[in-house]
Amino acid sequence: MKVIQVFDPALCCSTGVCGVDVDQALVAFSADVAWANQSGARIERFNLAQQPMAFVENAAAKKFLERSGQEALPLVLVDGEVAMAGRYPNRAEIARWAGILQLAPEPKPSANCCSGSKCC
Amino acid sequence: MKFLEQPPRFLFFTGKGGVGKTSIACATAIELASAGKRVLLVSTDPASNVGQVFGISIGNTIRQIPAVPGLWALEIDPQAAAQGYRDRIVGPVRGILPDAVVRSIEEQLSGACTTEIAAFDEFTALLTDTALTAGYDHIVFDTAPTGHTIRLLQLPGAWSGFLNEGKGDASCLGPLAGLEKQRAQYKEAVDSLADPLRTRLILVARAQVSALREVARTHEELAKIGMWQQFLVVNGMLARTEAAVDPLAAAICSREEAALAAIPEALSLLPMDRVPLKPFNLVGLDALRLLLADTAPAKCIEYPDTAFDSPSLSTLVDAIAADKHGLVMLMGKGGVGKTTMAAAIAVALASRGFPVHLTTSDPAAHLAETLHGALENLTVSRIDPHAETETYRQHVLATKGAALDAPGRALLEEDLRSPCTEEIAVFQAFSRIIRESGTKFVVMDTAPTGHTLLLLDATGAYHREITRQLTEGTMRATTPMMRLQDETQTKVLLVTLAETTPVLEAAGLQSDLRRAGIEPWAWIINNSVAAAHPVSPLLRQRAHNELREIEAVAKHHAHRYAVVPLLKTEPVGVAHLRELFRSGAV
Repeated sequence: MKVIQVFDPALCCSTGVCGVDVDQALVAFSADVAWANQSGARIERFNLAQQPMAFVENAAAKKFLERSGQEALPLVLVDGEVAMAGRYPNRAEIARWAGILQLAPEPKPSANCCSGSKCC
Repeated sequence: MKFLEQPPRFLFFTGKGGVGKTSIACATAIELASAGKRVLLVSTDPASNVGQVFGISIGNTIRQIPAVPGLWALEIDPQAAAQGYRDRIVGPVRGILPDAVVRSIEEQLSGACTTEIAAFDEFTALLTDTALTAGYDHIVFDTAPTGHTIRLLQLPGAWSGFLNEGKGDASCLGPLAGLEKQRAQYKEAVDSLADPLRTRLILVARAQVSALREVARTHEELAKIGMWQQFLVVNGMLARTEAAVDPLAAAICSREEAALAAIPEALSLLPMDRVPLKPFNLVGLDALRLLLADTAPAKCIEYPDTAFDSPSLSTLVDAIAADKHGLVMLMGKGGVGKTTMAAAIAVALASRGFPVHLTTSDPAAHLAETLHGALENLTVSRIDPHAETETYRQHVLATKGAALDAPGRALLEEDLRSPCTEEIAVFQAFSRIIRESGTKFVVMDTAPTGHTLLLLDATGAYHREITRQLTEGTMRATTPMMRLQDETQTKVLLVTLAETTPVLEAAGLQSDLRRAGIEPWAWIINNSVAAAHPVSPLLRQRAHNELREIEAVAKHHAHRYAVVPLLKTEPVGVAHLRELFRSGAV
């Protein structure tokens, strides 16, 4: 199973609840992550505001941050290599990377988004 | 005093800044120690006058108070605790990640919730039975955590996999992420809070309608999470004896009695104590011993009427009117009179012939109702913060949260109960009206904090960046932040009272706004006894005590300021509001 790592920009919380408007992309992606993890994939998320050490310890993330800046986040790594940047992957892309067989039609996102998101 | 009878191990005092909860906490600690108990007093007051009260410096380690046998004290600085928390997260990456990144992380961790959580982190060891506290019969806290903080710590979902594994999965725990202690310890701390045999909560308020309403909300929120062992202390009640010699004092007495007669139902069932207003400042052991004593009223020092040449509200309004239109935002902690000041300024501008839109979040609504249609150029609209927040919450849950399962939805719901949500919801409602300020005056009685503005702006910047990348457009967006930072378009007025804690709190708001590049234009010192020129000896002594605070504002904090006198009647309606412009100078 491939490991997918997502490096989020500095978010108060990954639901985006604290913003002027709750970001649908964040809510949807959180649900997709939970769905993928339930389907056996391994997705890890790192929030720049709360786990900056993860950005330091990962060579690819550190270089990306130095070169492109935090504005270019999120960064998605699959098995340590850059798979996507600047937007969040959709469910089909996650499924492809993780090797999850998707049944048609796409199942309703059952999953819990941003489990335990806490706003500052 | 009822709240002192059969006290449990933990006593928490809660209430707004300036109601005197630190003084009452100190007096309680002295009283318990005098009765032969071993007492630890824990203070989080930013004014940190506990050391001053006892004439020693205390700081963040437990110190014995030499003058009071059986009493130890500890001062927790919530700002320092929050800074320590930020350092734990940011420290290891400073100099390694780009500076701009480090700055944005620090801003994310600068909110009020972070401060509160960090302070609670410090409390935890005191609430759980450790060697640290084993020797004390009572631990007295001059503050209490909010319902939001406690719920956050109670949420089992918030902890799953986080502290145990030491890394975040999909969850974002916000301020919890950098906490040091273990889950079991937080659970134990929260359990002791909800145990009536161990914990008593004492709500401290002044005898004012709005203050009592606010305390009723705190009561309900904390009772809901299990802290139902509560007492009410009404502090600073003016003695009837003063009323005989001074019409102002008589008016204050009647107003306070009326407020207590109309006490919210939720509070009427609580055991209540009244603490009379003292002429002196509550500094020093002797003063504090007298605070809770049922002795005859203390003798006043005879003061002449206060000589006074502070500027009145009119001078500020003259300067605002010169711009012919713009946004005027009144900021300050609850209970300082933002709504009244907003109404007074709106009335003054409208009376000068300018079109004015006053928008208020005053829950009582009577102010908005009496003013609506009272003046030709004045429009009044009201925003109910609770209704706005609820609408916003339901909207988010119904749209963005539609696809969530039950646990996810429950967590999103709790998230939306955060204090930031109310601020955002209300600000959104206000920003619909702000646009009008290009052509008329818009006066608002509330404003988001600098921290929220920075976060909102950061979100805005992020979205614009995405849009730009997608469309490669060349449109240049102006942010609401730019409008707020421009003094010719927006004037921020800080409202405070001539008392130590409220002035410090306003200074805190000011530095928060400065972080967001917003410079408060002026300060207003409201409800000044000195500016009202009282006759009563007690009020004269209070007036004299105000001068030091007024001077601090004039010399250290404000670019320009005004002092507004305490009025005999609640300033409702155009005629009464105009009275606020009366100069305090004689």
